[in-house]
Amino acid sequence: MTTPESTVQLPRSLRIPFRLERAELLKLRKSRGVWIPTALLTIGAMVVMYTAIELFHVYNSSKYGPAGGTLNFERAMFLMGQLAGMIAAALVGAAAGTQDLSSGVFRDLVSSGRSRTRLFLARIPGGLALLLPLVAVAYAIAAVLTVVLAGGLATPSVTLFIKTGLWVLLSAGIVYVVSLGLGSLVGTRAATISILIAYLLPVQGIIRNISVLGRARDGLLSVAVERLSPVPPPDPHDVISMSLSTSLIVLVLWVGIFGGLGLWRTQTRDA
Amino acid sequence: MATQSEFVIETEGLKKSFGDQVAVDGVDLRVPRGSAFGYLGPNGAGKTTLIRMLLGLTRPSAGTMRVLGRPMPKERSLALARVGAIVEEPGFHKHLSGRENLWIAAAAREPEAHMRIDKVLEQVGLADRADDHVSTYSQGMRQRLGIARCLLSDPEVLMLDEPTNGLDPGGIQEFRGLVRAWIAEGRTLVLSSHLLDEVEKICDHVAIVDRGKIVAQGSLSELSAGDDGAITIVCDDPHKALGAINANGSLRDVEEIASGLRVLLRPEASLEKVAAELNKQLVGAGVAVYRLEPSHVSLEHRFLEITRRLGGDS
Repeated sequence: MTTPESTVQLPRSLRIPFRLERAELLKLRKSRGVWIPTALLTIGAMVVMYTAIELFHVYNSSKYGPAGGTLNFERAMFLMGQLAGMIAAALVGAAAGTQDLSSGVFRDLVSSGRSRTRLFLARIPGGLALLLPLVAVAYAIAAVLTVVLAGGLATPSVTLFIKTGLWVLLSAGIVYVVSLGLGSLVGTRAATISILIAYLLPVQGIIRNISVLGRARDGLLSVAVERLSPVPPPDPHDVISMSLSTSLIVLVLWVGIFGGLGLWRTQTRDA
Repeated sequence: MATQSEFVIETEGLKKSFGDQVAVDGVDLRVPRGSAFGYLGPNGAGKTTLIRMLLGLTRPSAGTMRVLGRPMPKERSLALARVGAIVEEPGFHKHLSGRENLWIAAAAREPEAHMRIDKVLEQVGLADRADDHVSTYSQGMRQRLGIARCLLSDPEVLMLDEPTNGLDPGGIQEFRGLVRAWIAEGRTLVLSSHLLDEVEKICDHVAIVDRGKIVAQGSLSELSAGDDGAITIVCDDPHKALGAINANGSLRDVEEIASGLRVLLRPEASLEKVAAELNKQLVGAGVAVYRLEPSHVSLEHRFLEITRRLGGDS
């Protein structure tokens, strides 16, 4: 045993940077229950969508257009930014927020004396380091197929490609932090995923269609994310118009409230 | 600034309540530096709750505590940097290997902890299985991995809560060997257990706790001093023997055991003198005495006496 005074400090060059963040990534990327569904919902969704459209086109080119081109790209990005990518982000966030608790490792991490705030904050980059590359690969596949399979159709401009790419990454990132916060608050993965999928799929859609709610619908996550989208939604009649600043405030509130609740629970939870 | 106190753990009036239920009730604990300290009590006595408070896992309802001279929870990160602990059953990410689990634990510790992973795996005998998933480990192997995790911080203090639960006799033996090695290295051990025999074999200081309160505290020799007279009698007819010695004024208590009697002496009685008297009385009453063995009262006996008395008081 060494005393604190005699502990030899590791040279800076041998120190491993971002150790807690790497640890979070390690836990997630080695979990098949996390990365396989996430890859399917991102990369898989894009591959399936473009393959299906192209097969229809090959089968009957007079009735079905090519899989590439701007319109299909917009649809693919909406699928990614408003549905599949959000669910993938919810899965990763729920796992990141609950896996230490469910495995009993949270107790050990806390008893190391490391700040609980630091433990919570490390989960943000740790989980995003798994999620965002998968979203980026899915986006890249969509972008390449949009051009390669365009046939005679027009393709998006470089600016639109870049803006759309950033938007799908932002959308996934926001839902990830919301899910992480909710997971840290609730403490169980199954409950977190159930709540989020229920909200993202039926509940949000139902509330969105209750027009009597008026501006209250601006608080919906999908509505605020959609406002930032550089491409128009597939159904233009379904758009709820709102200002850019309102959209940003709503998103900051979603992230702030759920991130804050998750942090608070991580700080106060009995381990 | 921490001072190099004689005690590595000090608590004053430490209390923890869950609603109306008081789990830890005004505990004043002093754990001497370099000791092997047993925290003994029956199940539900509040042992785990106390350790959880000392580790910052749950907040006390009242009282103060210092770990390695630093106030908790105010300076918890400094206080716990050189503490290793296993609370109840150690938890792991089962989809990761033993080595990966240690890597994650080391990430929460000082940077040097990563350099110790191979060494601690070797120490607990898991080097060969380090890259297998924890889901394939036996309970004993998980316990050893938990111990390896404790050692990552090169701890001055080890807090182990019921560490031999679920271990087979071989594992318990192995565990005792590890613990003795740590103590020899000058580390302080806090062992919480309801297995008194376990504590007697490992520890040199003991606190006995019941219903959240410490009822006795001190070195093992201090706690067993004062009432060290006990005689075990093995004979052909324990019932007859009981009748023969019952009137002996030097005896405090007599109980029948499997093949004879066990008698406790009054503190002022001389062990050798009473043994001779009893032998004479038994032979005189026609009891065949096979063995008459003076002994010291074990910590276990004293522990049971205390907890039984407390039970009777309520």
